[in-house]
Amino acid sequence: MRRTLLAGLAGFACLLVSGAGSAQDLTIPFTKTTLPNGMVVVFSEDHAVPQVDVNIEYAVGSRVERAGRTGFAHLFEHLMFMGTRRAPTHMFDAWMEQAGGNNNASTHTDVTDYYDIAPPTALPLLLWLEADRLRDLGAEIDQAKLDLQRDVVLNERRQRLENQPYGAEELELPTLIWPDGHPYHHPVIGSSADLHAATVADVKQFFDTWYDPANASLVIAGDFDTARARELVDRWMGAIPSRGKPTDPSAAAGSGEWKTTLSGVVRRTLTDDVEMAKVTLAWQSPRHLASGDAELDLLASVLTSGKASRLYKSLVYEQKIAQSVEAVQESETLGSSFVVTAMVRPGVDPAKVEKAMLDGIGVLRTQPVTVEELERARNGYEMAFVDRLQSIPARASLLNTYQVEVGDPGYVQRDLDRYRKATAQDLLAFARKVLVPDAMVVLTTVPKKGGRR
Amino acid sequence: MRHVSSSALAAWTVAWSFSCGGEAPQPQPPLAPPPVPSAAVPTPPDPLGPRPEPGLPSVFLPPAPVVFTATGGITVWLLERHDAPVVSCNITVPTGAASDPPGKGGVAYTTAAMLDEGAGKRGAIDLARAIDGLGATLGTEANADASTVSLTVLTRHLHEAFAIFGDVVARPRLEAGEFKRVKELWASELLERSKDPDATARVVFRAALFGPDHPYGHPWDGTPKSARAVGLDDVQRFYHAAWRPDRATLVCAGDIARPALVTMLDEVFGTWKAPATPAPPPLAPPAPKGPWPRVVLVDRPDAPQAVIAVLRPGIAASSPDAPVLTRVNDAIGGSFTSRLNQDLREQRGYTYGASSRFSVSRGPGQVVSWASVVTEKTGEALAAMLGDLHQFASGGLSDDEISRTRSQSRASLVSTYESVEGIAGRLASDASLGRGADYQARASQLCDKADRAQLDALAKRFYSPEDAIVVVVGPRARVRPMLDTLGLPAPEIRDAEGNVVH
Repeated sequence: MRRTLLAGLAGFACLLVSGAGSAQDLTIPFTKTTLPNGMVVVFSEDHAVPQVDVNIEYAVGSRVERAGRTGFAHLFEHLMFMGTRRAPTHMFDAWMEQAGGNNNASTHTDVTDYYDIAPPTALPLLLWLEADRLRDLGAEIDQAKLDLQRDVVLNERRQRLENQPYGAEELELPTLIWPDGHPYHHPVIGSSADLHAATVADVKQFFDTWYDPANASLVIAGDFDTARARELVDRWMGAIPSRGKPTDPSAAAGSGEWKTTLSGVVRRTLTDDVEMAKVTLAWQSPRHLASGDAELDLLASVLTSGKASRLYKSLVYEQKIAQSVEAVQESETLGSSFVVTAMVRPGVDPAKVEKAMLDGIGVLRTQPVTVEELERARNGYEMAFVDRLQSIPARASLLNTYQVEVGDPGYVQRDLDRYRKATAQDLLAFARKVLVPDAMVVLTTVPKKGGRR
Repeated sequence: MRHVSSSALAAWTVAWSFSCGGEAPQPQPPLAPPPVPSAAVPTPPDPLGPRPEPGLPSVFLPPAPVVFTATGGITVWLLERHDAPVVSCNITVPTGAASDPPGKGGVAYTTAAMLDEGAGKRGAIDLARAIDGLGATLGTEANADASTVSLTVLTRHLHEAFAIFGDVVARPRLEAGEFKRVKELWASELLERSKDPDATARVVFRAALFGPDHPYGHPWDGTPKSARAVGLDDVQRFYHAAWRPDRATLVCAGDIARPALVTMLDEVFGTWKAPATPAPPPLAPPAPKGPWPRVVLVDRPDAPQAVIAVLRPGIAASSPDAPVLTRVNDAIGGSFTSRLNQDLREQRGYTYGASSRFSVSRGPGQVVSWASVVTEKTGEALAAMLGDLHQFASGGLSDDEISRTRSQSRASLVSTYESVEGIAGRLASDASLGRGADYQARASQLCDKADRAQLDALAKRFYSPEDAIVVVVGPRARVRPMLDTLGLPAPEIRDAEGNVVH
């Protein structure tokens, strides 16, 4: 029946579903190759809608930044759009949008991710533009390009953090939870002073070190022909000379058995132009995909996902001392953080909310979660996996994340299985190991007196 | 989950309403030829060769849903697709915040919030536990013209989840105890809103453009004052007037076939009956009356950035120009390479992003151009924005903009049709605006065929800064002298709720 529809919404080959009434099994079909220069390329064809996505992940993030240059990886991400002799400044975007495409990028602690989404006709252009900037961008950077994007990034910092309620504490948390010298000790956006200090020489050196085909993973997903795309990738990406895969000294911080580096309770109170106080509790926790990571995701759901969750029901619904609560396992590859926040109802003492949060979390260390709670948390994650795989850009991003982190783009089923296999006893064990009362951060934001208005 | 810390490009929130398409698919362009070495040229050939030129993207014509009337008079739009084991259902009625009683802004908003605070045989907590236990997501919301409940769930849990969805729509308890709690949370939420510069700007836009007596003149979530005036009786009255089966459209997209859906509808909505009184027609508010030009300044002491905006009356969703306006908006502020973003961000570095958008509403809404700019450049940035708008309105679109916006509008709808939530959301919006099930394809034709004369006329009609309201949210003491140098009318000072201070 669907075949008669004009748009021909053909089947999602990506979702292979097991028998009705049982749990879903997930597969994203792909082929993978490594070019002679070291670039990994993953092809994932799916002709459901006329759209193609190019996703490139470079294994470089804010964790490699040296003292005095915080925020540089992200500033560099902006500079990647500033052009070359083939694609002069502004033309990367202009040509892509002229073809009906669009793009974006994001910088994380561990990686920098670039993606382009466009109609299938534009795939050659996307690959040509990506190859061009990987080949020549560093050599063609100049002071004017740097100065312009520095201004843009300083404005990004103002808009997202400095001029936003609770922005100050977002900047503060990394420095409290990670020790001095740890690759995650500073926020990705960096300090304004360091952004001002960046030079053209820094940009060239950063490009030469990190922006190498051997440090890149490329995913092409959606409505395209693999053989044809392969030919373009070989010709354009394959011809980019490699200087060799860089070694990342920061990677050492993520090796070995997981153990928190916090040795006590780190307490900080900030004053901000807000109406409600906010209490943040944070722990170091096991890294992404490591033993304990999925268990902490599930514990976060048990604590604050939905009105029936433990902390929502207790603090917001019954005691009426909090406006909202949220728990999240912030998974990163050198080590994660488990962060629980509560917005404090006006007129309530933040200390009272902090105690109620700690009491609720303490119960997780003394008795296992119920069968029903575990099932609810698992079902939420299963739904999220299926839901995410409907989108081509999300699928491309997932393939690339798995490739970069575990060297296997087809890791999705094993990722989901982590949630299926976790038992209440596993959750109890990791709550005891990670959510300890004597090695954590307590960060409180209180309204400044009088306020702005 | 990974931590997204920073993103290079601003997210472009453009009012979506339609797609473009309608011409034959374009042939694939030939591959760029491999470079040919030449003995006569001393420099080596460029290994990348010439830039590939893609041309216009192929057409994407979205499929229209099957339409039928179900039990109790509910109109059903069904778009089947069985590739992923997931279903989205949105049920919508054409009554929203524009129907809030005078002085009680936020009734539609808080009625939506109350729908899932206990319904049918379940109290608020039990209902949440049941929905979350199925891994489903249930949402309730109200905008200017509509109230909507949405559900997304894996197919194998659809039957159970749909029963709860039906309770929320047809059998909400609307109890006093829950209302008291929801109202307290609402009051705190509104306090916090006044600390957010973007949220403040949105409140002030409505107050300044439409005024307090217009149906679109208040924020959908109300103000601290109006929220205090709302009682449970207002919520119950609103619910019974708005939510009746003969005014509801249920949109289902995904892994569900018609016979199974009809069976579920009979089970879940079989007892939901319309009252004997005729259903009131949807409200279509009039255009705002002015006066303009005006300047509105909201003080935000010590802020490192100022929000600057140029505000004009917009278009009604029923206008045949409405789909075409997206192309015009893409050119001036609706995409990364739009004039405003290129000028204020990529040339001058005053901002992280400048954009424009227009609302899609039953009565004429608003057209807004805006940016958050570094405070010390507020005057220059506003002058640049006004200059760009003036040039655009008076000079029309360039050749590049005409072809680019055609490509972009052809491509833009594809992402929506990737997911069942995207489809159900888009179609529910069409239903609530009275646009018909085949609207997307019709709008595509209109949009793709628009010629220069039509595009230029819309640019002039909707983006001219001469008949506009300028809004600035920033530190008054620093910003006021900058405004004075621009030759604009003296600003009226408003507070964060949009009230005139003096």
